[in-house]
Amino acid sequence: MRPAGRDEHDSLYFDYPCFPFVRPAELEGRALRHRVAIVGAGPVGVTAALELARHGIASVVLDDKDTVNDGSRAICLSRHSLEILQQLGVHQRFTRKALGWTRGRTYFRDREIYRFEMPHSEQERFLPMVNLQQQYIEQFLIDKAMDSPLIELRWKQAATGVSQDGSGVTLEVATPEGDYRLQADYLLAADGARSLVRKAFGLALHGEAYEGRYVIADVRLRSDFPTERRAFFSPSVMPESTLLVHKQPDDIWRIDYQLLPDEDPDKAVEEASIRERVGTIIAMLGEGDDWELEWWSLYKAYTLALDDYRHGRVLFIGDSAHLVPIFGVRGLNNGIADAANAAWKLAWVLNGRAPDRLLDSYSPERRGATLDVFANAGKSTRFMTPPSRGYRLMRDAALSLAVNNDYASGFADPRQVTPYTYAESPLTLADSDDFAEGPMPGAPLINRRLGEEDYLLDHLGTGFSLVLFSDDGTITPSLQAGLTSLQAREPDLEVLVIGREVSPGAFGSQLADTQGGIFDAYGASDGTAYLVRPDRHVAARWKALDTDALDGALSLAQGMVLEGDRS
Amino acid sequence: MTPTTPTAATLPFADLEQIYEALAITLDELPEVQERLFLAQLALALAHRIPDAALVREAIEEARRGVEETSPRE
Repeated sequence: MRPAGRDEHDSLYFDYPCFPFVRPAELEGRALRHRVAIVGAGPVGVTAALELARHGIASVVLDDKDTVNDGSRAICLSRHSLEILQQLGVHQRFTRKALGWTRGRTYFRDREIYRFEMPHSEQERFLPMVNLQQQYIEQFLIDKAMDSPLIELRWKQAATGVSQDGSGVTLEVATPEGDYRLQADYLLAADGARSLVRKAFGLALHGEAYEGRYVIADVRLRSDFPTERRAFFSPSVMPESTLLVHKQPDDIWRIDYQLLPDEDPDKAVEEASIRERVGTIIAMLGEGDDWELEWWSLYKAYTLALDDYRHGRVLFIGDSAHLVPIFGVRGLNNGIADAANAAWKLAWVLNGRAPDRLLDSYSPERRGATLDVFANAGKSTRFMTPPSRGYRLMRDAALSLAVNNDYASGFADPRQVTPYTYAESPLTLADSDDFAEGPMPGAPLINRRLGEEDYLLDHLGTGFSLVLFSDDGTITPSLQAGLTSLQAREPDLEVLVIGREVSPGAFGSQLADTQGGIFDAYGASDGTAYLVRPDRHVAARWKALDTDALDGALSLAQGMVLEGDRS
Repeated sequence: MTPTTPTAATLPFADLEQIYEALAITLDELPEVQERLFLAQLALALAHRIPDAALVREAIEEARRGVEETSPRE
């Protein structure tokens, strides 16, 4: 919502683009068969289109709007999401515009009781978290998609119905110039919390709705306060409430506050109520009264998910599959991870590299991530918004103890999003060797700095990568022969050799690790190998590699071997 | 700030979180008027299980300071 006299896209800082409606070929009577249709050109749908394009798969993306989101909404991108955006070749615009942060402060009854610092080191290319309004996130992704010959964006084209059979999916599409049917091999439903695709198939989200309603309001305010997450429990200006404050680019500040139990939500979102409450909060922050109201919205906390994220030839990605509370910034970040996961698997199937059943692994991996989020988000939500007298008393007790005692400050930790480990996935081969360090099978690779603007993750291939550790940068002739014959079958298998010494001209891409820092971080010794999926998650690892074991793990990770066949 | 006595073994945080949840649920099951009596009994029951009175006094002082320093300002 915006102040009276300003329409939905009349922003203080953002010029809304207007994407033109282009008559699709189907309206000219041409029969087309698309490989992938994506419903929803939000950040999740467009990320999926870009990941498909990275693997050479064309897609058509439909959206009923002709511009980006009406408000800032999801503003925090995690390091893991930025690493996905790097693979899509679009991260520079994000890091240039976004405000990065590593710190947060917690206040209880106006006293600062706790500061937290998110894990960060010079080994990382990206900060643990950056703030950027969703309009920019969408615009940067859409601009990139427009440059791709493999992505067709169709604006002002609303999916109104959907059906499928054994060979494909049919969408009913309404446009300003008439209706048509769109045929595709597979469909990605990225059409958000009120997903039409989900409803058309009669699928329901299951889970919980939490008590408590929150307002998010954006104001323009010039302030030198650093980019940090500030959480205020029981502030004197609204003792029964919890308040969050985040800085965004363009001098925009996010004020997020909980409504009181007896407060009427309809009244609370009237402009006069918003101005009064936000004014009181800004005064408490010590920022004076020179601020302008930009945009606001009301939300509730939910933990809801589909029972299965795959429905035949349809995969649900992002909010269409799951709704999570915003504390911990998991909505968009998990949606981006869904998109990357679904898209590489779909590309493998459509490229004839993997059987359709590879797609069966999408739901256990990403629904697993959602259930993990629910476990944490439930705790965060009960802490942010105690649902009862008992929880409120315990929350206040923990915060009071945290003033002087570190042992209690963990309760006030914001439990921010962390990438999920696909340890139980049917694609993951559990360790048979002992590793003291390094990402376990199912976990994402960890980054290491190699030099100026040069990091380990920059060197991964587009498909699967094999990271081999070697003291002198060479590998044995028999392993080399095995890898050469494997690469004849898997031409995009990238072999990265990490050597304490480099051996120019030896097999594979050579990376020097003269200090041994990468060896240490990966628990590696001469001969250690990590097999890495296109989404940077570890499929398998060994202390010493033989090509039969590698071949088996690669088949497993591409869905060619059933779990029961695992030896 | 008062450091925890370094020789004393403490409860892992994950367990402390579970106790937090269990206490919240137990408190919700009690009538509000019995809350104070319940918490005082709990303090004595826990103190009984700690064989070192100095540790208990330290905990009492921690809780007293927390209340003092976070009571709402008038």
